[in-house]
This record gives sequence, structure tokens and C-alpha cells, in this order.
Amino acid sequence: MIFDKFFKLAFLISIALPGTSQMLYEFESSQQEKRFYLLISEIRCPKCTSGSIASSDAPVSRDLKNKVYELVLSGATDQEIKFYVSDRFGDFSDYRPSMEGANYFLWFSPFAVFILLIIIFSIKRRV
Amino acid sequence: MNMFLRSLIVLLPVLILVFFAKILLVDDEIKFKDFESKNFPEFSLNDLNGDPVRAQSLDGIKLVNVWASWCITCLVEHPFLTKLSGQNFKIIGLNYKDSNAKAVAWLEKHGSPFLFSIYDPRGDLAFDLGVTGAPETFLIIDRKIVAHIQGEMTQKKWDAIFAPKIFKARQPS
Amino acid sequence: MIGEIAHFLSLSAAVLFGLILIFNFFFYFGKASPNQLVLSTRLFNQACWLVFFSFGIYIYLAINDDFSIAYIASHSNTQLPVFYKITSIWSAHEGSMFLWIVFLIAWSILFIKSLDQNHPLKKLTLLMLSLIILGFLLFLLLTSNPFERILPFGALEGADINPVLQDPALAIHPPMLYLGYVGFVISFSFITAYLVNGNFSLQWEQDIKSWSLLAWIFLTIGIALGSWWAYYELGWGGYWFWDPVENVALMPWLAATAFMHSLFASSKSNVLKAWTMFLGILIFSLSLFGAFIVRSGIIDSVHSFANDPQRGLYLLTFSGLISLFAIGVFAYRLPALNSSNLVVTGSKESFLSMNNILMITSIFSIFLGVTYPLIIESIYSEKVSIGPPYYNSIFAPLILIAAIFIMISIDALWQRRMSFRTFILSILTPTILSVLTIYIIWKITNVFSVLAFIGILSGLLILFSYSIKIITNFIDKKYINKGSAISHIGLGVLFLAISLNSILSYEKNLNLAPGQSIAINDSLKDFSFKSIKVLEASNHDVISAEVSVIQDNRSLSLNPQKRKYTTRGQITSESAIKASVLKDTYLTIGDQLDNGSWTFSLKINYFIKWIWLSVAIMVFGMLLTIFKNKTS
Repeated sequence: MIFDKFFKLAFLISIALPGTSQMLYEFESSQQEKRFYLLISEIRCPKCTSGSIASSDAPVSRDLKNKVYELVLSGATDQEIKFYVSDRFGDFSDYRPSMEGANYFLWFSPFAVFILLIIIFSIKRRV
Repeated sequence: MNMFLRSLIVLLPVLILVFFAKILLVDDEIKFKDFESKNFPEFSLNDLNGDPVRAQSLDGIKLVNVWASWCITCLVEHPFLTKLSGQNFKIIGLNYKDSNAKAVAWLEKHGSPFLFSIYDPRGDLAFDLGVTGAPETFLIIDRKIVAHIQGEMTQKKWDAIFAPKIFKARQPS
Repeated sequence: MIGEIAHFLSLSAAVLFGLILIFNFFFYFGKASPNQLVLSTRLFNQACWLVFFSFGIYIYLAINDDFSIAYIASHSNTQLPVFYKITSIWSAHEGSMFLWIVFLIAWSILFIKSLDQNHPLKKLTLLMLSLIILGFLLFLLLTSNPFERILPFGALEGADINPVLQDPALAIHPPMLYLGYVGFVISFSFITAYLVNGNFSLQWEQDIKSWSLLAWIFLTIGIALGSWWAYYELGWGGYWFWDPVENVALMPWLAATAFMHSLFASSKSNVLKAWTMFLGILIFSLSLFGAFIVRSGIIDSVHSFANDPQRGLYLLTFSGLISLFAIGVFAYRLPALNSSNLVVTGSKESFLSMNNILMITSIFSIFLGVTYPLIIESIYSEKVSIGPPYYNSIFAPLILIAAIFIMISIDALWQRRMSFRTFILSILTPTILSVLTIYIIWKITNVFSVLAFIGILSGLLILFSYSIKIITNFIDKKYINKGSAISHIGLGVLFLAISLNSILSYEKNLNLAPGQSIAINDSLKDFSFKSIKVLEASNHDVISAEVSVIQDNRSLSLNPQKRKYTTRGQITSESAIKASVLKDTYLTIGDQLDNGSWTFSLKINYFIKWIWLSVAIMVFGMLLTIFKNKTS
């Protein structure tokens, strides 16, 4: 009985956050820290109408932030982390559209339009 | 070249208009999307009574309903779930970020449509399922997630999304 | 009763606008017979004033808590200060649409008045404006009626404005923005009138120049206010997210900026007339598109008004028809729109054309980013998200090209090709200085990001080239276009501030119990969580934390709060911000944990004040330009 309560207490304290130190997210290097903050700014909050998990206070956002923190610390790459998240919450969790399939149009059409406009302009001008 | 350009200038806005008109006129809610089925994530949690939940309990055709005692909409969909369990659909509850005591009390007060409820106070399993809040319901066929509804379960959603998959699964192969 | 009078006035106005159109349609659309024009103008003025009175009465009703009007009942409250009772009018769809129309009419009536009675385009412009105003009035009265009543007795007390909107910045943001958005109806209508009229020997640029420049100022301020508000209110420390609603305000702004520059070339050198006209039409079309996107609920955004497909469809059809008409006439007349001169390669005009190209490319990219998720969802039934990573990547090269051309064009000549020598000289010193500065920045800060450094380079190129130009022209006592120089310097500051902000800013998430303190880094030697209290204010409960920080050997005291508003039960977070020249210290409370400690989010945001300053500089420069334009 007492063991149960003790276990639950320890359980609750430890699950409250990754580490109960005063820095919520402690990193091994400033690079790692920057990676973390960059990642959470690119992952979409699944529950909000719009916004990244960095800017959201929703419970699922907090869970995601903690999870991303764990994964960064464990050495996962950005790619792996994003895949981990979209595997669970869907492809739209990534604010950076992937470079594949139809998205090629997305990434390269501005450049194409730019060139096209230059061509149109050059043809009409003749001096 | 000139003619081509001029018609393009007019054509583009027309296409944009038509595109948006189409979006406005299509009823979004019950779009039957093709859902990529994935395996039910592994977990080691207990049910509300403290007994470990076996993976085999997810065999066959099961519904997993994410609920909590603090969730108001769960109360709204509760009669529908009760009706489903009465029609012999097997529903397993996933108690999400809740206290064991409050969850048990809620079930005693309102009745339980569940075979049992998985106790997930931290939301670990829910996280792996991509749950963002309660209520949500998953359709599991042979330990694979084949459909997912977020928010209240209604007859309309059931008919459009879950029922066809269940019907297909029940066909003799 | 009074509400009914206001309603009646608006209805009558709609009828009058309709009459103007019918009347002119039946009496030969084309030649301006003087009586026709006089009658039309009189009707127009009367109709406009009817709407002004209607809105005036509406304000009166809001101040006097007339909760028999459904809209006022759902957005206002007897406890609100008078200022917020008034601003609650535009806090949601119906009321803000009403405001939009009032501004539309204000611009129109002033512009029509400014046109000489003999002006060949006066009648057509008046008709175009009447058509647009009528369309919006009908939209208001038929689908979004602010005059709807709660019968038979009305509500006893208002539901209260969303507490997040009880804020001065958010109160002026819509009016400023709308003034900008609808101000470009002038260029839209006038240019369309010009195209329909068909006499292309007429001069048209001067008539709309000052109006467009003024509208640009409002639009710039409106967007900046929205960004500023988002920064200090939303608790996330960001000021721009490329959210769809931000984007649909940015697109008209880009078109307007391109338009102004193109107008300059067009009126000075008789070139690029077709481009300029196209841009003049595009701005308002994009404003209409923006109104549609925000009010139809078609796109997910925190900013969306009520989701109503019927309203969406009306707006889409109406905006679409108006824009298509204008674009159609433009396309039809295109062959006849030859500018009398051709653009010389390497001349100032050619660089301004590049500006047009860059702006249109930017508009295209934003438009694509906004609609792409919708396209993918309708074809593949998949959901994708487009956010800052996409937009930042696309915009970085564009602003670099823009900066390079701004730099080159300072010494460019009208209608003459720039000599190679001038070209080299103009880019040599700024480029060297910029590269040196970047190297120094890199060494000092020890951070690197491709996109941010492109932004820094862009800002520096503009700033150095203009500084050099101003100094040399001052020494040689040569003429400087002050307005243009100042506005471009403002732009350079903006690029620089945004880029430095992105590489230098950082965040720390803390977990402290009251009474605890922590040393964070060399700059933040002590962060001390003094206490936390629960307080009561007039319409909300407060959890207030007192924190004292020693930053850069100075002591700061911060007081972040969480508020729960009694009427709606809404919880908001009030961040504590201490702004200094170089950086903002931005503290937000998180949640209380089971062990009694609280989480805090501490953000150090660099150069934020410089971002706001840069907008002020750009606007100031534009004011100088308008002044010069008016007095010449």
C-alpha cells in the first residue's frame, strides 16, 4: 500500500517533465538546443487551427515538445524526429513541405514564374 | 503571343474562381478519405482495475474510444456508444489523462459501454495513436487501425466512415 | 426603433446606388451628358451620407447598450469602457463589414469630389464605385445584417467582447487595415473607367497618385499594427507567422508597392503603362480575395471569422465578377495600350520593371502557399501544411535580388542606359562594406544561417548604398529624393532587424517554485521567482507572478500574468515584456506542476524595436513623397 503510494508519487514527479531540474530542457550543447527550438517551430500543433507547438500551450503540444526534447537528446536526426511525429499525427504536422512528388511544383514554380516574367518583359521591350 | 497572353490573363482568375467555388460547395465533413491503415502501437498499460491489458484483446473487430471523466463531449456521445455496445460492437475504452478514481466513478454514474478501459494517465498510448484530445474513436481490425474519428461519434460519421469498413471486414474472404 | 431607422437608412442607400446604375444603364452608357452626371453625382452623395448616418446611429446604439440588436448584444457589454464599446463594433464579421463599407464610401465620396465636373472619366468611375459599394451593401444587408434584432425584448446584458480584443492596438488595427485595403478601390475603379472609356491619350496617373500613396500608408500601418499586437499579446514572442490571414494582407501590400514604383516610371517616362494598370487593378482584386478568404472560413486560421459557406459563395461570386470585369477589359484593351516609349536596358525604368517582376513573383509564391493545402486536399485528400520554412526559403533570394537592384538603381538614369563604370562604382563600395560587416557579425555572434545571412546582406547593401549616396550628394550639393531615400533606408533596416532577430534570439524554459532562483547564462546572471499571487480585477481573476531578473548587470522586474475572464470564462496569458534598444526580455507563465512549481518561458528577442522603427521610417518617407507630390 505504502509502496504503491510512493511509487505513484515518484511516478508523478518523474512524469511531470523530463527532469525536474530548474531548466525544463537541458542540453548537451548549444547546437542541440538550437536544433530543438528550430524543430518545435516547424512542427504544427495538431490541435490548434494554426501555429507551431512552440507557440502553443495545448496539452498535446506540451507532450510533443517533451517528446521532441527526448528524441533530440537521444541523438535522433531532424528527419527521424519529424517522421516520428508525422507517423503519429499525420503529414500535416510538418510546416516544411517535403521535397517530393507534387511538392516539386510548390518549391520550384516561384523560380519558374520569375524567369517567365523576365522573358515576357524582355520580349516586349526592344531597345 | 499577344493573344495567348491576353487569354491567359483572363483564364487564370477564372480557374481560381472555379476552384474556390468547388471547395465551398463540397461538404467537407463526411469526405471519405482513404485511410492508410497502420499497426496498433505497442503498449504496456493496465486497465482501470489494475490488471495488465493483453494485446490479444485487440483481435477481431474492435473500437477504441478515447474518453475521460473531464471530457464533456464524451458524455454527449455516450448514448450512441451504449447503443453500439448493445448492438454487439465491442468497444474498449482508453482513459486519457485522467485519475483512476474519477474514471471509475464516471463509469459507475453513467454506465459503461466498454468491455474494459485502458488506463493511460500520461497519455503515452494516446500520443502514439496521434490523439489530440477526447473524444476520439479508432476502428481496429486485426490489430490494425483502419479508421479514426476525431470528436464526437455520431450516426452520420459512423455510417460514412466506420460502417463500410466493418461491413467489408465481415465478408467471408 | 432607432435601430430600425439605421437599418432603413442603409437599405435606402442601397436602393439609391441601384438607381444610379439602372438610370445610367438605360440612358446610354458612354457619353457624359451633363445632366446625367449631375443627377448621378447628387444621388451618389446622398446615398453615401445615408450610410454615414446609418453607421453613426449604430455607434450611438453601441454606446447606449442597445442589446435588442443581436450583434451588439453578442459583442459588447455594459461594463466596457466607451472606447471598447465602439471598437466592439468591428470585432466580428457583420460589424467589421459595416466599417469596411463606411470606409469604401468615404474614399469614394472624397475622390469623386476631387474630380473635376468635366473630367471625362468621372461618370464611369462613379458607376464603377456605385457597383462595388452596392455589391458590398447587399452582402451586408442580405447575408450579414448587423441590424438583426433579438425580439421581443432583447438581451439584458451583452455577451462581452472577446477579452483578447480589449486592447488598444487591436482596436485600431482593423480600421487602419481596412482604410488601406479599400483605399485601392480608387485606383481600381479609375483605371477600369479609363480602360472602358478607351481614350488612351488621356493622362490618368496624376489623378490617383496621391490617393494610392495614402492608401499604401494605411495598409502598411495596418499590417504593422497586427504584427505588433500579435507580438505582445499572443505570448509566443513571434511577430509574423505567414498565417493565411497575414498573407492575404501582405499580397495587396506587395502589389501596392509595385504599383507605386511602376506609376512613378509610367508618369515620368511614359513606359510600363500596361504593367502599372494591371497592378492597379490587381491590388483591390487581392483585397477582395483577402476578404473572401478571411470571411468564408475556407482556410484554417486563428483569425477566421464565422464559417459560413453562403457568405463565402456570395463574396466569391461578387469579387470574382468585379475583378474579372476589370481584368477582362484590361486584356481586351491590351494591344492598344502601347506605351509611347520603350524601356531602355540598364535604365532606371528597367530596374523598376525588375521590381514589378520580383513583386509579382512574391505575390505568386504567397498565393501558392495559401492555396496549395487546399489544392492538395481536393486532389489527393491529404493534408499538408505550408509555413515559415517555405516562405522564408522563397523570400530570402527574392529580397536579395531586390536589394541588389535597389542598390544599382540609386544611380540609374531615366531613359538612358547606365554606364558600366557607374554600375561598377555603385555596387563596389556597398558590397565590400557589406561583406566586411557580415564577417564581423559572424565573428561576434558565432552563429550562421544561410537564410538569415542573405537577409542581413540584403539589408546592409541597401543601407550602405543609400548612406554613401546621401553623403556624396550632400557634399556635392546634389539633389536627393529624400522621401524615396528614407523609405528605402527603412526597408533596409527592416531586412536587417528581421534577420538579426532570427539568428540572435533565444528561448529558455524554466521550472521554479516560488522563492527559487537560477543563473541562466552570462547575460542573465540571476532569474528570481519572487512570488505568485491570486488577485481580482473588474472583469477577471488574475494569477500574477513577480519575477526579478539581473540582465547585463541591470535589474529588471517582470510581472507575467494569467487571466480568467468572468463573463466568458476565457483564459488569457499576459506576457511581461521589458523592451530595450537591443533586445526585448519576454516572460510568459506556463502551468503549475504537481509539486507546486511553475513553468516559465523566457524569450530574449533581439532588435524587435528596430522592426517597428523601420515601419515608421518607411511611412515617414512616404509622407514626404506625398507632400512633395502635392506641392509640385
